[in-house]
Amino acid sequence: MRYVFSNLGQGLRRNLSMHLAVILTLFVSLTLVGLGLLVRAQAEKAVDQWGSELQITAFLCRSDDPDPNCQSAVTDQQKEEIERVVEANPEVESYYFESQATAFAKAKELLGPDEADRFEGPNAILTEDDLAESLWITLKDRDEYQGITSEIVGLDGVANVRDQREVIAPLLKIMTAMQVGSLGVAVFLVVAALLLVANTIRLAAFARRKEIGIMRLVGASTVYIALPFLLEAVVTALVAVGLSVVSLGAFMYFGVEQRFTDYLGFIPWVGVDDYLLTVAVVAVLGPVLTLLPTLLLTRKYLKV
Amino acid sequence: MSHDTSVAGAGVEVPTRVVPWRTLLRVIRFEKVTKTYPGTGAPALDQVSVDVEKGEFVFLVGASGSGKSTALRLVLREMRPTDGRVYVAGKEINRLAGWKVPRLRRQIGTVFQDFRLLQNKSVAENVAFALEVIGKSRSEVRSTVPETLELVGLEGKADRMPDELSGGEQQRVAIARAFVNRPMILIADEPTGNLDPTTSVGIMKLLDRINRTGTTVVMATHDHGIVDQMRKRVIELEDGRVIRDHAQGVYGFQH
Repeated sequence: MRYVFSNLGQGLRRNLSMHLAVILTLFVSLTLVGLGLLVRAQAEKAVDQWGSELQITAFLCRSDDPDPNCQSAVTDQQKEEIERVVEANPEVESYYFESQATAFAKAKELLGPDEADRFEGPNAILTEDDLAESLWITLKDRDEYQGITSEIVGLDGVANVRDQREVIAPLLKIMTAMQVGSLGVAVFLVVAALLLVANTIRLAAFARRKEIGIMRLVGASTVYIALPFLLEAVVTALVAVGLSVVSLGAFMYFGVEQRFTDYLGFIPWVGVDDYLLTVAVVAVLGPVLTLLPTLLLTRKYLKV
Repeated sequence: MSHDTSVAGAGVEVPTRVVPWRTLLRVIRFEKVTKTYPGTGAPALDQVSVDVEKGEFVFLVGASGSGKSTALRLVLREMRPTDGRVYVAGKEINRLAGWKVPRLRRQIGTVFQDFRLLQNKSVAENVAFALEVIGKSRSEVRSTVPETLELVGLEGKADRMPDELSGGEQQRVAIARAFVNRPMILIADEPTGNLDPTTSVGIMKLLDRINRTGTTVVMATHDHGIVDQMRKRVIELEDGRVIRDHAQGVYGFQH
């Protein structure tokens, strides 16, 4: 064991430039993978808030609704009529009602726990009654929406209809582009990292061919011979993972927490839980990316 | 051939686990071994059958390309025979699983013409290396290494570096490394090939001493003088065939 560890330090020092190249490439690709995952989580969050591209939302009348389409709050009879129309429409895949209470809960969540007290008491900025009950309709086809929209717009009790695509489509487009961009670049970098790992092992095996030859002759086990290589792979992977976790954390803290949430507070932003999930993925991916080629190549170069 | 193979020849039908007791005494046994390298016409070894008993000292002689190195590499299981069986220490090693090969090699010490020492390690470290990499404890290493260095006549030179030593001394280090694990077999591939005659005699005396501890020694060599002087068993190979196997032989009739 002592031999293995002294060899580890020696191996890392001897091939320093190669190891640095592996670490940097791996670091950048892992960070890009992480960013891609965060953007994906962000897109999911946005969809949760506003519905997907396939959804249209009909806001129903509430009491004292300023909307000219409304005379009074929507009645149960009107709701049944709306439901009947929606049910009969062939463009509709599914639908559900969102109560005022749910809408209120969403609004509170958006502003976060710090602002929760502003929703309570007699001076609350917003109460349940200020928010409309709504009907969320999911379409079968994103382009077949005119029929259902025109049908429900004219019904009694419907204040207005919001086509979600107008709101979310550009946002989703940007996010998809970011996700595809970061993951696409990451794929190339991952390939580069794999090749670098392979080259590093080839060099290390060549530099130590005499020792390895002697180890084989005196009957050192394959595991023992391969162990320094595997440890080197683990160490480089851990350094790269560490760097990438730190920079993703910095992005989350300085970017998302301190800037976006202030300026773009109307969007629910990715939080700590999404970050932790991303970190977990990166932490698994990094060692796998170095260990896999190492295992394959040590079998090739260090064959007993 | 002076060693007949018919007694233990039952091994052809007998599965590996039930080895006749006589095979146990035979630390090395070649049974009609043929080795053909891919892409070459004539086999490097052709139907070779040889037995080496425990504690024997065997010279393997023959011109370059006669198959000496091939035979030694087969014993070390660096490769498998094309045909026939090789037994080492009672096990049929061509059927040995890859992960068991290190265990086999721990029973075999190896010495080469070019010493193969690690230049960045001292004499003691070179010898200790062989024990460390097979996982021996530090206390065991500390007690065995000086003992072995004394046996090979290198007491007081433990802290020297290989490039500060003469060729003969370097070969003694290599022998110490091969022997430090007290192997059953010592394989020497032209151990005196790079040494002058006087130094060679010293090395041969050392190998003889190791042989007397019960270790089987198989030595491939070109050195007529040494073979003639030692009066040990001589197996001569020519074009991959055993052409002579004398219990107390000399290098060749023509000399």
